[in-house]
Amino acid sequence: MIDLSLSTHRANLVTRIFAIFILLALHVGGVSAAEDKFTFDSEAQRASFLRLTAELRCPMCQNQNIADSDAMIAHDMRRKVYSLLKQGKSEQEVIDYMKARYGDFVHYQPPVTAATLWLWAGPVLFIFIALLFVIRRRSVTPPEDMAAKLAKADAMLEQEKE
Amino acid sequence: MKKAPLVAIPLVLFLLLVVFLFKGLFSDPRELDSQVKDKTLPPFSLPDLMNPDTTYTPEDLKGQVTILNVWGVWCVTCAVEMPYLTQLKNEQGVHIVGLYFDQDLDPDFGTKTLTRVQQEVVEMLSRYGNPYAFNIFDVYRDTSLDLGVTGAPEHFVIDASGIIRMHHIGDINERVWRNKIGPLYEKLRNESLNDLANEVSEAAE
Repeated sequence: MIDLSLSTHRANLVTRIFAIFILLALHVGGVSAAEDKFTFDSEAQRASFLRLTAELRCPMCQNQNIADSDAMIAHDMRRKVYSLLKQGKSEQEVIDYMKARYGDFVHYQPPVTAATLWLWAGPVLFIFIALLFVIRRRSVTPPEDMAAKLAKADAMLEQEKE
Repeated sequence: MKKAPLVAIPLVLFLLLVVFLFKGLFSDPRELDSQVKDKTLPPFSLPDLMNPDTTYTPEDLKGQVTILNVWGVWCVTCAVEMPYLTQLKNEQGVHIVGLYFDQDLDPDFGTKTLTRVQQEVVEMLSRYGNPYAFNIFDVYRDTSLDLGVTGAPEHFVIDASGIIRMHHIGDINERVWRNKIGPLYEKLRNESLNDLANEVSEAAE
């Protein structure tokens, strides 16, 4: 009896969790449906729009892309991206358009410049220096005398036995 | 002693990190490199907010040093700075032009009428003071986008020949005016007065 009630209880819980997930999924669907006021000429254009709004950064709420942000400027930028794509502009042209107004900041892929070079060079340099450090260190330590160590361990074991 | 340089590496790295993070404490993440600085105003042709039959172009901002103030009735900070801007206009004769845009008057999906917006503007200006020579109505917010506006309030200092000399994000208060905008404004105004004087003397010769 007890066993049975437990298992129904568990089944209940599973259903509930499942329901929550379904609700969450529906909610996410609802959010992305907000973009549905835009109609696209082709699937490729829709894909471009989604890619661009994910890649362009909102200048107002700084760590969101313009697809996520609900700031007015993000709304306006989405509308602008849409109208530029409708005019037949390429993705790069749209990015350049935004960069001309908001600077490199607005794109989540920074260009390689003297200042940003360190983003790529830094980790490589770090690994290189660390490797150098490890190699030098290893060569400095003298080869270990295993035999002497074993003898010492044996002696300690002998001592323990007594 | 031979080891000394190697030992110093973590210390140097640590110090560099400290300097980097310390600088970060005082940097303002909102400070963006303005793309319009030292350029002419982007072309526009926009109606007057109160009298839509009047149309403005960048030409209307030439001839004197102007502070273009991006604002809206929905913007709380704009209301806060308005009395000070009015004071600047009244006491120092600062030429302030509004670039107005509204949140709820989306041209495509709008819920508000223009009359309603005008009414709100009149109410706000009568309560906090009216610093504006006139208000340009950025209907589709395209000009704001061209100027790299991120929100409101924002200000552009435009010299007499129509070139943008400063983009200031945030409000203008006494401290900002004294330290940042005021000196530039005075300098530009003196330059434009000198130019004017030169022209007059040339014409006299």
